[in-house]
Amino acid sequence: MDDDHLEEPLGAAAREYHAPPPTPREAMWQAIETRRRAERPRKPAPRRWIPWAAAATVLLAAGAALGRLSAPGTPPGHARAPAAAADGAGGPRVSEAAYRIATIEHLDQSEAFLTMVRASLRSGDRERLAPAAARQLLATNRLLLDSPAARDSRMRLLLQDLELVLAEIAQLPADATASQRELVGEGIERGAVLPRLRTVVPAGTSSTRGDL
Amino acid sequence: MNDRELIGRVLAGDPGAERALYDAHVDRVFRLVYRMTDDLHRAQDYTQEAFIRGFRCLAGFRGDSALSTWLCAIAVSVTLNGLRSLRRAREREVGLDEAPALGVQRLEADPDLRSRLASAVDGLPEGYRTVFVMHDVEGYTHEEIAASLGVQPGTSKAQLSRARARLRVALADFARD
Repeated sequence: MDDDHLEEPLGAAAREYHAPPPTPREAMWQAIETRRRAERPRKPAPRRWIPWAAAATVLLAAGAALGRLSAPGTPPGHARAPAAAADGAGGPRVSEAAYRIATIEHLDQSEAFLTMVRASLRSGDRERLAPAAARQLLATNRLLLDSPAARDSRMRLLLQDLELVLAEIAQLPADATASQRELVGEGIERGAVLPRLRTVVPAGTSSTRGDL
Repeated sequence: MNDRELIGRVLAGDPGAERALYDAHVDRVFRLVYRMTDDLHRAQDYTQEAFIRGFRCLAGFRGDSALSTWLCAIAVSVTLNGLRSLRRAREREVGLDEAPALGVQRLEADPDLRSRLASAVDGLPEGYRTVFVMHDVEGYTHEEIAASLGVQPGTSKAQLSRARARLRVALADFARD
């Protein structure tokens, strides 16, 4: 028995072991180039989310202030009246409208973000999973869950489901394994969060998603 | 352009040089990773990761081995780590007791040599399998394997010899034919 070579026909069969298909050269290069481009300027992706997150926070604060100022029977000197006044039966419409705008803005951003994450999972592009961006969205999501916007039961359910998905992405380690990434992908598909977001968010709602 | 010039251009920030380096080595890396994973998506994933890490660490490449060997070392490391994680996840799902039984059934059920050999190779210990795939399937030398796996060439030879011995036992009926 010769140990320099595996005797035929085993040697021939060995050369057929898991025979590879043609190299998907371009598809892999696109994914590599995208990640390399993201690395070059060393500008962390999460910064893209700061302007809109700040805008959403300002909008929420403005909505709360407007609501309190316009609450029926509240004199200007009592702008800091208890929150119960704003939550009463004749609650402030302006405030609720502001909350709704902020919520739609948040859902629009979340939909764009999850679409990007899903595409990254499929292409194996880990850098753009951006857990930091997920944490930003998660913070706003929790803010909205505690706001009057969450009185709508359908909206509340959507925000709760979205929270789970964002939390999974936020906790994804930098060196996430394929199975961890698969779990995130399943999380996005579970509960049909993306289709529900697209149903709630009117087309062309936001101007802040062009950078995705 | 040789590897040294290519590396210099990549380190100088020339994106065209990155593409040239990728083009020069991607086939070899992808073939090896695919042989080890038998899964197109995982092979793509691990190959991409290997090149990303290669580009990131290129400044630390000292030239002790050929660039292709260095890239294969990264690819093998990425692939083995990925497969270990996958195996751990599967073991959690299937249960350790059931896994060997599935392999045996597959061996007995399929009389075709190629699939019998594939099952037998899949069942080899990780170190044996890696050396067998690199040497007998992809044609790497023991020196290249040793540099890629961080072992001595003698270790590579010994592991290959043991891998072949196991395969001969597993496929004894074909060998007799």
